Amino acid sequence: MKIAILSKLFVADDEIEQLTEDMSRIISFADTINSASEEGTDFDNINSLSNVLREDEVVPSYDRERILANAKDSDEGCFLVKNIMK
Amino acid sequence: MKYELVAGFETHVELATNTKIFCSCTTQFGGEPNTHCCPVCIGLPGTLPRLNKRVVEYAIRAGLATNCEIAEISKMDRKNYCYPDLPKAYQISQFDMPLCNHGYIELSNGRRIRILRIHIEEDAGKLVHSRGSTLVDYNRGGVPLIEIVSEPDIRSVEEAKEYVEKLQLIMRYIGVSDCKMQEGSMRCDVNISVRPEGSEKLGTRTEIKNMNSISFIAKAMEYEYNRQVDLIESGEKVIQETLRYDDVTNTTSGMRGKEDANDYRYFRDPDLVTINVPRERVEEIRASLPELPFAKQERYVNELGIPEKDAALLVKYRRVAEYFERAIEGVKTPKTASNFIIGQIFRTVENEAEKEAFEIKASAESLNELIKLIDSGKIRMNLAKSTLDKMLETGKRPTELLSESDMAGLDEGALNELCEKAVAANPNAVADFKNGKEKAVKAIVGFVMKNSRGKADAVAAEERIKAIISAQ
Amino acid sequence: MSESMINKLHTMLKSKEISCTELTRCYLDAAQRENGELNAYVTLTPETALGAAAAVDKKIASGEEIAMLEGIPMTLKDNISTENIRTTCCSKILEDYVPIYDATVWSTLKAQNAVLLGKTNMDEFAMGSSCETSCFGGARNPHNTAHVAGGSSGGVASAVGGNIAVYGLGSDTGGSIRQPASFCGIVGLKPTYGAVSRYGLIAYASSLDQIGPITTSVEDTAIVFDAISGYDCMDSTSQGRRGAPVCDTLKNDIRGMKIGIAREYLDGVRDDVREAVLKAAEVYEALGAEIVYFDLPALKYALPVYYILACAEASSNLGRYDGIRYGYKAESYTDVNDMIKKTRSTGFGDEVKKRILLGTYVLSSGYYDAYYKKAQNLRGTIVKAFRNAFEVCDVILAPTVPMTAFENGHAVSDPVETYLTDICTVPVNIAGLPGVSVPCGYNAKGMPIGMQLIGNSFCEAKILNAAWQYENAANIYRAADKGVRL
Repeated sequence: MKIAILSKLFVADDEIEQLTEDMSRIISFADTINSASEEGTDFDNINSLSNVLREDEVVPSYDRERILANAKDSDEGCFLVKNIMK
Repeated sequence: MKYELVAGFETHVELATNTKIFCSCTTQFGGEPNTHCCPVCIGLPGTLPRLNKRVVEYAIRAGLATNCEIAEISKMDRKNYCYPDLPKAYQISQFDMPLCNHGYIELSNGRRIRILRIHIEEDAGKLVHSRGSTLVDYNRGGVPLIEIVSEPDIRSVEEAKEYVEKLQLIMRYIGVSDCKMQEGSMRCDVNISVRPEGSEKLGTRTEIKNMNSISFIAKAMEYEYNRQVDLIESGEKVIQETLRYDDVTNTTSGMRGKEDANDYRYFRDPDLVTINVPRERVEEIRASLPELPFAKQERYVNELGIPEKDAALLVKYRRVAEYFERAIEGVKTPKTASNFIIGQIFRTVENEAEKEAFEIKASAESLNELIKLIDSGKIRMNLAKSTLDKMLETGKRPTELLSESDMAGLDEGALNELCEKAVAANPNAVADFKNGKEKAVKAIVGFVMKNSRGKADAVAAEERIKAIISAQ
Repeated sequence: MSESMINKLHTMLKSKEISCTELTRCYLDAAQRENGELNAYVTLTPETALGAAAAVDKKIASGEEIAMLEGIPMTLKDNISTENIRTTCCSKILEDYVPIYDATVWSTLKAQNAVLLGKTNMDEFAMGSSCETSCFGGARNPHNTAHVAGGSSGGVASAVGGNIAVYGLGSDTGGSIRQPASFCGIVGLKPTYGAVSRYGLIAYASSLDQIGPITTSVEDTAIVFDAISGYDCMDSTSQGRRGAPVCDTLKNDIRGMKIGIAREYLDGVRDDVREAVLKAAEVYEALGAEIVYFDLPALKYALPVYYILACAEASSNLGRYDGIRYGYKAESYTDVNDMIKKTRSTGFGDEVKKRILLGTYVLSSGYYDAYYKKAQNLRGTIVKAFRNAFEVCDVILAPTVPMTAFENGHAVSDPVETYLTDICTVPVNIAGLPGVSVPCGYNAKGMPIGMQLIGNSFCEAKILNAAWQYENAANIYRAADKGVRL
């Protein structure tokens, strides 16, 4: 299932059937939009804003301790992923 | 059969802004891991990007300097792929509405390498694999990049080298990047294919990723060209794949096949708004661009009489060219300044980086003063050279180093007097000369030079001495 | 007669009838006592609350003026980032995540010494209509705990409806403020997209999400909206409130106001709900407003458009939960990729996974044009349809939900039918408009019914004015009538 790979999700065998069924129900429901006879209106953005820009001025970064505070593993000031964990 | 090389470049250039593209953390190179980070650039839940104004401006500068059209309306898109160096699991980039389109760079052989587009995006963090683990540092994450995509117009390794060099030079000139390949602020992906000479059809291409040295690019392209030609000649097929170049073995090899299909699922980033570029702004930026190196080089040759090769050396570093231009203000002989810079001055700056920075003690104004002294005949070349050495050492101005009498010059009477003194003081040399030893006169000239402390014109002195001797 | 609890408490604090610490303790005790039944709170923050209360008492003691929201006990939905206070989105994947920064709405309220009692329950990542996808279990309806509080901001609605918070902030992506407010018989406002900063709101669908107040009265909603709306440079899509504070015009006369009813909104709505809404229309007529009927055929695409766009954005927004920087991380794995997949597969609940998969699907090559792009075009059609509607009326009156709160664990198994409960609320998010849900009656079982007032962009003042007039005129039993908790 390419979609699961792209989503970075495992789908267990016993879930596949229910999930596929749900998905196809939802997708066929989503397909109702393709019955729309109206010519679609070009939609740009939900707001009509443009050029919201920030000045290029440095603000001090956060302390590294806080940056790493929520990481399960860290080492040498870096976020850490041990390559094999069994 | 002969085969033609066909190559295109995707060049990533890190912009020399103060802050990252979507947050206010510094872009400074180096720094302890994860010390240039904030909630936004490590992708904490709930954070939102804020586009840096200067990134847009620099991209437009880059576009104008490479003859691109600047889009009136542009936007930011998300490129979705999951990798630990990408904290949000998407890179904010530009997909179908890049800021710049359809430019070109002209090579010295007159061929134009077309530029398809230039877009802005964020850099990823850095992964370090150590002791069986992966360490992630997000200091580079969110540093602004432009990606310059060329058409497959490059036909030889030489053209490729010149293209990259020119791009590098332009970006440095317009001040948008230092383009230090060794620090990764300029990186190239090269697409290569081969085809029988005369054929119009493109062959299957491979892509060599992340090249960070011009000489490696050349070697990798040569290797890949030969590999593809060998494959075709032995009846095999080139497979479209992504390659990595190994500079130790000088070979290319396929990157470990990622499990994931490449499907970036681009869509407009709903957290950012439209970018409008008013035409007046484009013209303002265009007007603010400095003269580009190739225009400069042409001007140096045609208007200043600098030899082509020397002109190329002068424009190779923006600061050198600026120095040169300040040094020749109001002088009669720009070539003298060029000779000084390329010769004596360059000998004091060792490497590329120093030439790039061009921080030398002798100011351009001092050199200007020195050349004006030469122009006006107040000092001779020999004295000028030794003075320049002192200037480079001490940072003093020529007028501080030279005495009144040094700069007094030597009138005809004084020269005559000195020459007569010299003839009288060197009877042996005079005798040798009279006996047909032409070279003996040099010793007498040397006496004049020494006693005038270099101020005398050696040619005039020699003539005068010969006249005195023959009149004896 | 509606009454502002905030106003009343503010007066009591100012007149020293009660200290802020006493008030806070009162609410904390009640929260502790009653949360077991309601499951509204997932984290209580007594220290933060009492700290703020002490500061307010000090100010009052020294004779300083206090702002309207100072010292008022409140709550935040658990997807609003709070520095040093666990923020989970009610997902296993963030179960121990402690933010290092504050959402803009929270820093704004904190600066006014708001008393945060705790963080409230929600559907996991705001994906659901019953609060039952929460990894902490669902929040209960204060009117009848056998029923759900609604979702996704079920915890806020349960706490405010159950009077264990005076007000709360929720978020609304497809009805997540208005639907639980309707189920719990209280008021909930989804502001215009861009009126309130999203900075620090953990994203579900960025182009649809908005933070808004859930309160027991229209006036309280107006007070809180005035406090949290405003331009924020941290959110590039933010614009702030337009015009004067909505409180200024809250009680204006509405004679001559044109109240529109789109027939499509009444289709497929349960009879008791339809009747209650039509009765509200009569109240408006009595108040001198004019009822205008019109058609809004574009509405039939609203639901599929919503699910396509929301899931597409969610699939991208939720990509970042990989176990590396924060949150749950799988314990055993073979390599980085395996770690990420195991983390996500174990950390996310089924509904979230389903929406990520759907979102990935509609954006993937080969399907993008048929789904995402088409939905985006139809979004434009819906935006235009509403724009035309506001040529013929000032405010649109509609049901908030086609039904009343369902019983716990009664969520329909068919995914599409579940999604249908959002049919009346999603159009507002698609078009970026403001919508407020106001109680308008009870069904035979005594469960509250809500009606919705929808306005043009940045017309919060108008819909709240209409809502206040209705609330004032109609004699609806409301949770607020229980009075303040003392």
